[in-house]
Parts: sequence; structure tokens; C-alpha cells
Amino acid sequence: MRPSEAPLILLADTTDNALNWTVLTPVVAGALAIWYLLPSPQKRPLFGGAIAGVVALAGLAGFLLQGLGQTVPATVEAILFFGFAGTAVLFAALMITNPNPGRSALCFAMVVLSTCGLFLLLAAPFLMAATIIIYAGAIIVTFLFVIMLSHQNGPSNADLRSREPVLAVGTGFVLLATLLVGLQRVYDNRSVESVISESIQLAASEKVDSEYLTVRKDGDMGKPVELTPRAKSFVSRSKAALARMKLAAPEPGDKALGWDIRVRAAENAIADLERTPFKDSDMDAIRDDTMTIAASLTYLKRIREGGIPHEGVTLSPYGQVRQITKPGDNPESFAEQPPEARSTPVLLEPDPDLKMKKMPSANIAALGRVLFTDHLLAVELAGTLLLVATVGAIVIAGGRREHPR
Amino acid sequence: MITISHYLAVGAVLFTLGLIGFLTRRNLIVMFLSAEMMLQGVAINFVAFSRHHGNMHGQVFTLFIIAVAACEAGIALALFLSLYRKKRTLDVSVWQDLREAGIDETTDAQPLTTTPEDADPILTKAGIAPKRPLEETNV
Repeated sequence: MRPSEAPLILLADTTDNALNWTVLTPVVAGALAIWYLLPSPQKRPLFGGAIAGVVALAGLAGFLLQGLGQTVPATVEAILFFGFAGTAVLFAALMITNPNPGRSALCFAMVVLSTCGLFLLLAAPFLMAATIIIYAGAIIVTFLFVIMLSHQNGPSNADLRSREPVLAVGTGFVLLATLLVGLQRVYDNRSVESVISESIQLAASEKVDSEYLTVRKDGDMGKPVELTPRAKSFVSRSKAALARMKLAAPEPGDKALGWDIRVRAAENAIADLERTPFKDSDMDAIRDDTMTIAASLTYLKRIREGGIPHEGVTLSPYGQVRQITKPGDNPESFAEQPPEARSTPVLLEPDPDLKMKKMPSANIAALGRVLFTDHLLAVELAGTLLLVATVGAIVIAGGRREHPR
Repeated sequence: MITISHYLAVGAVLFTLGLIGFLTRRNLIVMFLSAEMMLQGVAINFVAFSRHHGNMHGQVFTLFIIAVAACEAGIALALFLSLYRKKRTLDVSVWQDLREAGIDETTDAQPLTTTPEDADPILTKAGIAPKRPLEETNV
């Protein structure tokens, strides 16, 4: 990617939503809530922090629903996800703001249990069981023992004061805003999708010339004409969309998928559209270029989403993105296709199976196989680490006698 | 549809909250719990990537995270106990002699507001004490 293309991407994403409310709302409200609820010598009423916390949770739900570029239908999976994620985040906030360490430990147990729910949704049942047993069962109980052993009566500096709450909350939530905006940049494809649908509209339109080129006065036939503002913005937005796609080029081994061919085709088409002034006879070329942009962007987007060619659907690097009725029916090259096939690109609906690949059904067997083939040395090292940690813990805590004063 | 990006966002939130807890809280145990919560955020990321790529490597990494967290917990709790034996408090600020040279000692300006402890409830006797049977022994 040339360095000069980077500002284009920023422009394409920030023009319609300059303040990025989906990120700003949860971050600002969350920072206020955490700052307000952190333990402090002067007592603050619970009320304000609770309101800010509710706003932050609602904002986070809004970010998850809207900010990532796709709408989430109300399926069982979505309801479970939001339940577990909301519980995890709520109890995480309660854990760091609760002055009582025992209650903090119990809140952490809730965070761990909700995380286990998320693991189950992610097809990792063994990890769910292991995390419950080790974290919630062993580690937290040990923590509670230590809290019990070192319990102290009355107010203590340790529990009722915070160190630099403003600076720490600022640091944390700036980091969070950066991460959320980063996720949005990578996963929000709405700018690309709008370019694709607009180019299809333009290509299918009967009056490409009036939509594309400035209206000519009578008697000026044959005079060079310019692009309309709408067409100019379309060209610049498709350039930005292409640059956005190029940020996530697949690994070099995947070049056979036709990534480079499509990128070059789209680049040529955009350069062709930028080559003003046009003549009257260029209309077919404009139509072809628009369609090339649509097809290329769709193809690149599909590959980026993990859409490898599978049975029934072929993504040909040369031809249109289209549905093939019979498996193994290879499409001809773009130029060899009949004109009517060229003029109606079939855009495939995103196939849910393509977005998430299949996992092995026997989770524990597959985990064990990977663990003892690919990661054997790491298993040995982890065992050694556990042994050393056991010895170390006994050595450090073993002494019974009090420290001489 | 719930995609990988949603899980990454939740992981990011957990990580950030853990970071804030680690930076602000002064109780050693709560600081350690916050560090564990950061690990949980990372674990969600690993498992989500494992699901996304359709292989088990992310889950294996999470397994190692759990193993290392268990080691960490053992060592850290042993350390906390020995530190508590020396100073009789879990406040990290009593160990600020370990700070970098040339930095002033932080002092707590505001006094703590003491809340009166609830007195233990005293139960008044009511009714007649039942007669207890003599304990039978077979010795």
C-alpha cells in the first residue's frame, strides 16, 4: 500500500459519523462510572455511579449491536452471548470497585463463570470445564483462604483508598477506546458494501450517462464532458474501499485465489474512471468499469471474510462473482461470457457457514491430539513450571516462625 | 450473527477493567485478581480466534494460560502470606521503600472516615431450657 492512501481510509469512515458515538458513549460513561465507584476516603452516593454504569453497559451493547458493521438478529446464540458478556462486564466492574476483598473474589468468580459461558458458545467445552475447576474451584477458594487468614478489623488503607484513580481510569479507557476503534476499522465493512451496491445500481441503470456525466447542452454532441459530483464521490469512495480491502491482503500462499488479479482489475477500472474528460462513446467502457469495480470488491470482500470456494459456489478471479448451478462448472473468463451474463452480476448472499469454519466435533480428543503433537515441548515446559512453582510456594510460605522484629 | 469481533470487544473490555483495577487498587489480593481478569480477557481472544480459524491452537494456548495462572496464584499467595507476616497489612503502599530512587514518598492526605462497627446482637433468653438427656457412653 502506498502511504498516500492511508488518509483516504480515515476519510471514508469518519465523514458520516465524525464523533463515533458508538465508541464514545460506552467509553466516557464507563470511565465516569469506574472513577465514581472506586473506593475513596470521602463517601460518594452510589446513585451517580450506578446511572453512569447503566449508560456504559447500554452503550457497550449498542457498540456490539451496531458499531461492528452488521446487525445482530435475535437468535438464541445472540441472547446467550449478550447475557454472558453483560454479566462478565458488570461483575468485572463490581470487582474492581468493591472495597471488600472477599466480595471482590466472589465477583471474580462470577466473571470466570460468565467467561466459561462464552467458551461454551465458542465450542470449547473442555476449556469451560477446566476453567471452572481450576479458577472458580481452586484459585478463588485459595484466595478466600488468604483473605480469611489476613483479615483485619476496621477501615484499612488497603481497601478504602485508590491510587491515582483519575490517571488510571484515563489510561485504561483511552486504551479501551483505541481497541474498540481498531475493531471497528477492521470489521466494519459498511463503506465497502455501500460502494458495491452503488456500483451495481449505476451499472444496471438505464441512464448511466445522465447519472455519470454532466448534462450536455443541445448541440454540444461530441464535446468532452465531465463526471458529475456524485460520480466523482463514487470514484473516490471506491478507491477508499479498495485501499481498505488491500489492508487485509491474504497471506502470500493464498495468491492462487486471485487476490492480485482482482486488485489490479479494480485499480485499472478506477484509473479508467478518473481519466477525464470523457467522450460520448465511452459509455460502454464506463459501464464495464463500474461492473468490474463491483465484482472485484465483492470478490475481495468474500475472500477476506474467509469465503474460500466451496461446493456449488465458485469465485473465479476472472469472471463475475456468480452462482454456479453444478459443482465443478468452471466459469469462462470475463471477456468470453455472454453480454447478458456480464450485465447482471449475481451477488452472493454471505453464507453463514463460510464466516465460521467447522470445528472438530470431539473437542477433547482434538485438543489432546494438537497438544501432544504440535505443542509437546510446551506441555513439558508447563509441567516443569508447575513443579518449580510448587517448590517455590512451599519454600516461600513454609516458614512457621514469625519474622524477628 | 455473533462474529469474532464481538468476542474480541468483550475481551478488550475485561482486559481494560483488569488493568484499571491493577493500577488503582491497593490491596495485594485485589491487584492479583485484577491481573487474573486481564488473563481472562486474553483467553477469550484466544478461544475466539481458535473458533474463527477452525483449529485447536487457540484453545491450547488458553490451556497454557490456565496452567501459568495456577503457578502464579500459588507463588503469589505464598508471597502475600510472607509479606503479611512482616507488616501485618496487605496494603502495597507499605512496601513503597522499593520505589525508584529520587521519587518522593506518597502520603495519604485525607483521613479515613471510620464507620462504627455493628455490635454483636445479644439474644435474650426466652422460654424454659429443655432438660437434656444424660449422654450415653459405651466406653
